[in-house]
Amino acid sequence: MKLNALIQNRAALAGSTITALFIIIIIVGPMISPWGSGAFDFTAVLKPPSWSHPFGTDSLGRDVLTRVMEGARISLMISASGVLAAMCLGITAGLFAGYLGGWLDAIVMRMVDLLFAFPAFVLALFLMVALGFGVTNVALAIMLVYLPIFARITRNTTEVVRGDAYVQAAQVMGQSTPRILFREILPNISAPILVQASIAVAFGIVIESGLSFIGLGVQPPTPSLGVIMADGQEYFRRAPWVLTMTGLTVTIALLALNLLGDGLRDLADPRLKRRDA
Amino acid sequence: MLVGTLVVFFVMKAAPGDPALVVLGDFATPETIAKFNADRGLDAPWLMQYLDWLGGILRFDFGTSLSVSADQDISALLAFRLPKTLFIGLYAMTIAITLSLILGTLAAVNRGNAIDTGATSLAVLGVSMPDFWFGYMLILGLSIGLGLFPSYGFIPPSQSILGALHSGFLPALAIAAPMAAVFTRTLRTALIENLDREHVMVSKSLGHSGRFTFFHHVFRNSIIPYIVVVGLQIRYLLGGVVIIERIFGVNGVGSLMVEAAFARDYFVVQACAVVFLAIVLGVNYLVDLICAMLDPRRAR
Repeated sequence: MKLNALIQNRAALAGSTITALFIIIIIVGPMISPWGSGAFDFTAVLKPPSWSHPFGTDSLGRDVLTRVMEGARISLMISASGVLAAMCLGITAGLFAGYLGGWLDAIVMRMVDLLFAFPAFVLALFLMVALGFGVTNVALAIMLVYLPIFARITRNTTEVVRGDAYVQAAQVMGQSTPRILFREILPNISAPILVQASIAVAFGIVIESGLSFIGLGVQPPTPSLGVIMADGQEYFRRAPWVLTMTGLTVTIALLALNLLGDGLRDLADPRLKRRDA
Repeated sequence: MLVGTLVVFFVMKAAPGDPALVVLGDFATPETIAKFNADRGLDAPWLMQYLDWLGGILRFDFGTSLSVSADQDISALLAFRLPKTLFIGLYAMTIAITLSLILGTLAAVNRGNAIDTGATSLAVLGVSMPDFWFGYMLILGLSIGLGLFPSYGFIPPSQSILGALHSGFLPALAIAAPMAAVFTRTLRTALIENLDREHVMVSKSLGHSGRFTFFHHVFRNSIIPYIVVVGLQIRYLLGGVVIIERIFGVNGVGSLMVEAAFARDYFVVQACAVVFLAIVLGVNYLVDLICAMLDPRRAR
């Protein structure tokens, strides 16, 4: 993917710019914020948004913006680690299944179909009950939700390219199967996987905040985005800004990741882009 | 489906925590635990327990609840709650399909101009909003702000259809918004691909009206990928139902599953997971049937 093309694609450009800005803000923001994410201030409880507290304060007088930046970092880390784990396992399973075929393929794909049949959120909820709540288990649940998706994409694309000339060339040269899979095939099928990854990180954040929102995910006092929103929901009628502003932040972050994913897809599939233009 | 039930069962069995302790609490003695396990058949080997449970499912008998509503038949709980979930789900699906047919068609026909940009942006926004947050925004605007809809509680359709349509509107809309966005994008892409194809040009050159060409040659060819995506989104819909039911106080299967998760009522969580699995597989089958009907080439 050429950098030039990336800049010319408006969606990808906007998506990657906002995503980058976002990441900088959530890393630098808590450091330069005059408020601590856990600092109580009982003289400023449930204050509406103002210059000193752009997102207002919560029921304990904590600055919501600082908490959102903290929370976004935690949510992003949970989602990204879950997706990364899903990619490692899913891509490996998909490569072997697609390349070798046969019974291995049959077994892997049956398991994928099975995981795929559960609604993502129901699967995640189910796992939370089985594994217990907490940060690691939310990441684990996200991994299991995305594992089948990565396995399926990788397997299907591997199957398409496994007869290609460069693969045959590598076979004739006597390269080992893992080497062919990871050095020859994987770089050639990485585009659709990367597209999926950016979208998966976005929806991983939704899964995390959803689980934490109903109280079955990350547990307070760890401030993930879902925890902050669950908190805001309790006094939503008196102080709607806590939930509103936090959710708005999530929406903007997801919008950026989705635009990035769309843009990458257009770049990977020039056919679609030219027609739309 | 069979393998699915096997996984549900054994994951639940492997879960930390003992059902007996959930019910008997901290004052349980080894004797009372043993008696509880014997009463429930929990002292049998796992395989026997599984077969017993599976046999129960086939007779719509999921056993009895542990802690959500103690000792009640889970089947009775489900029978009471499932219609509400199905109603909200169908309601949301109807809204999503209606919205997306309008927006997707408008976007495709006006490709490249302001209407297309507007509809496409709306769709990206729709995909990006967490549904529960959107639900709260609806409450803030339409319920607290304008007072048009109730913010909490649901009148079951068995009591009053109009009441159900009214009180179910916000939850259904909250679930529908992200789905409508996905459907719109799918329909737009499919329509645009077909608009460029040769048979459409032939139809136009034969002097057929724009509307005839659109419905007979473009729309008919675009509807199959659309239906496939609608079918796939059923998984999303059921996931949304779980949170949204909880927020709007709809006592359906989704909120039952959350309550059971809090109460560590393993049997009820198991039963809900199986119900959701069955719905997904049922819908997938239905989609296959519809696609085969619409496109005889697929019927092979």
